[in-house]
Amino acid sequence: MELTKDKALWMYERMVLVRTFEERVSKLFADGEIPGFVHLYAGEEAVAVGVCAHLDHADFITSTHRGHGHCIAKGVDVKRMMAELFGRVDGLCRGKGGSMHVADVSMGMLGANGIVGGGPPLACGAALTAKTLGTQQVAACFFGDGAAEQGTTHEGMNLAAIWNLPVVFVCENNQFAESTPVTYHCAAGDIAERAASYNIPGVTVDGFDLLAMYEAAGAAVERARAGEGPSLIEAKTWRYFGHFEGDQVTYRTAEQSADYRERDPIKRFADQIVSRDLAVPGDLETIQRSAETEIEEALEYARSSPMPQPEDCLTDVYVSYPAAKLAASA
Amino acid sequence: MAAAGLIVNPAAGRDIRRLVADAPLMSHREKASLCLRALEGLAAMGVERVHALDDGVGILGAACAKLRAELAVELLPIELEGSTDDTVAAARLLEQMRVPVIVTLGGDGTNRAVACGCSQTPLVALSTGTNNVFPSLVDGTIAGMAAGLVATGRVDLDRAATRAKRVEVVTAGRIDLALIDAAVVRDRFVGSRAVWDVQRVRALVLARAEPWAVGLSSIGGRLHPVGAHEPAGLYLELGEGETVLAPIAPGRVVEVSVAQWRVLELDEDIELPACDGVVALDGEREVPLDGVASARVARRGPLVVDIRAALAAASLKEVRALDA
Repeated sequence: MELTKDKALWMYERMVLVRTFEERVSKLFADGEIPGFVHLYAGEEAVAVGVCAHLDHADFITSTHRGHGHCIAKGVDVKRMMAELFGRVDGLCRGKGGSMHVADVSMGMLGANGIVGGGPPLACGAALTAKTLGTQQVAACFFGDGAAEQGTTHEGMNLAAIWNLPVVFVCENNQFAESTPVTYHCAAGDIAERAASYNIPGVTVDGFDLLAMYEAAGAAVERARAGEGPSLIEAKTWRYFGHFEGDQVTYRTAEQSADYRERDPIKRFADQIVSRDLAVPGDLETIQRSAETEIEEALEYARSSPMPQPEDCLTDVYVSYPAAKLAASA
Repeated sequence: MAAAGLIVNPAAGRDIRRLVADAPLMSHREKASLCLRALEGLAAMGVERVHALDDGVGILGAACAKLRAELAVELLPIELEGSTDDTVAAARLLEQMRVPVIVTLGGDGTNRAVACGCSQTPLVALSTGTNNVFPSLVDGTIAGMAAGLVATGRVDLDRAATRAKRVEVVTAGRIDLALIDAAVVRDRFVGSRAVWDVQRVRALVLARAEPWAVGLSSIGGRLHPVGAHEPAGLYLELGEGETVLAPIAPGRVVEVSVAQWRVLELDEDIELPACDGVVALDGEREVPLDGVASARVARRGPLVVDIRAALAAASLKEVRALDA
């Protein structure tokens, strides 16, 4: 595995930025400053970052209701993300999407998605466009273990397989579909093994190990870009927070969560790159401080951005229909 | 009451080699079927109790749900970590319990973990991994029957079991072991573990070099075959030199250049080349290489039951007579 110092530090910086963002959002939501609902990504950082490390701005990702980590890993501006969570006009969707519909098409981030299993058909559409136009773009489709049981996910994988589309399906198996354990809801045992039914490769990866994720995602993206078709990566992971903020988390034990926090993916990666001389502790401290500053600046930006006006309600909601066509159909 | 141990590795056959090579994906359903057949084979030979590691994903449960034979399957009291440590702990516990035989379902990596936990208990190793040399690719029924014959004392282990060789890798005060091959790899990280890019391999220490094997040991197998029973190992340094065509991963037959190689005597220490890399054990990157490291091939591996020999040696008529 080739890993440059620049790439290692970039991945560390993205993971720290996701974590800092999520921890701050947790407090802001508890304080009643954020409207709507939030689902936090902390704990799962290695998955989004390990995959997006192989994508550039032109590539596509589809996301889930737990989408902040995907946005940040893809390089979406955190100021405008925070403003979106606050429902302000400077948000990425002018405050109309909020946490669960945050999107930035200019960065290939096709949107967080309130529909569980909503991402796979979108990823297939984006990949079909790329394949038809011959652009070499790849679509990474993040979905959870709950979405793995949805029909749309099966349809998406089947479609990607029969049309040989450049999609990397990334199942973030955090072991609970809301509160239902994967051991209860998944007949297959491992979600990766469903790949065999679609005649595509499937692998299981430790989603708490950034380097394992980075390597597997690299191989899957390379296949997709080379026209070899889709693949499925199942990342075994764990979310540090509840399903949503406010969830009492009665379905898993504090000991389980403590065990995972001890194996924290960010700390683990820090130890790995320091021991292999790709970073010194000072680099990591600088990254931590700059992430904290970036999040505070994002917060100031969001707070100072105006609320949308009532008359904004219908803008950017419906596609404007050309007046000429309207007249013709009348 | 005759008993046996059972260790199923749910993670076997799931790694990155499905993306970078043509390795097949073995489903839990297939593993459960193999497990069921092994349990039926064990029971048919008179085994009444099986002490098993909980695989955590329901493989054993699915097998037991279809089990027709009268056989008590009990889970070992081990708190699962979801890692190789579970296999090591299970093997250790089974040996402490003096279980007469352990059936393993996994690959070379699984059996290496078992060998880290026990040394005296005979193993019946069934293959479910990717490119395996150590376990046998046989029907579960046959493996279960062979294990059952061992468990019920109907097989002379002096004739049907042999002590395997192993590679011992000594680095900075610790010893790690491999059952087939240890490789010095120019990778700075363990990452996804598997080794498939032979360009990154610097040197190999082989306990076995089988001409029929798939994996890194096949390079030695093409040059100078060394079988399981031969009192020798092989050392290779890759680099400009003699070229061989070797199946280094499923579906990947590549040209490999070997700079030098030689036969190793048992217990002969060899210093590994200095390298900013890791040591891969049985094809999985495991140990960061930091400073001087050495390796040797020794006949201190696990006691392995030869499934065919066990069945050939035992008279099944005797089994029936005992049951009656």
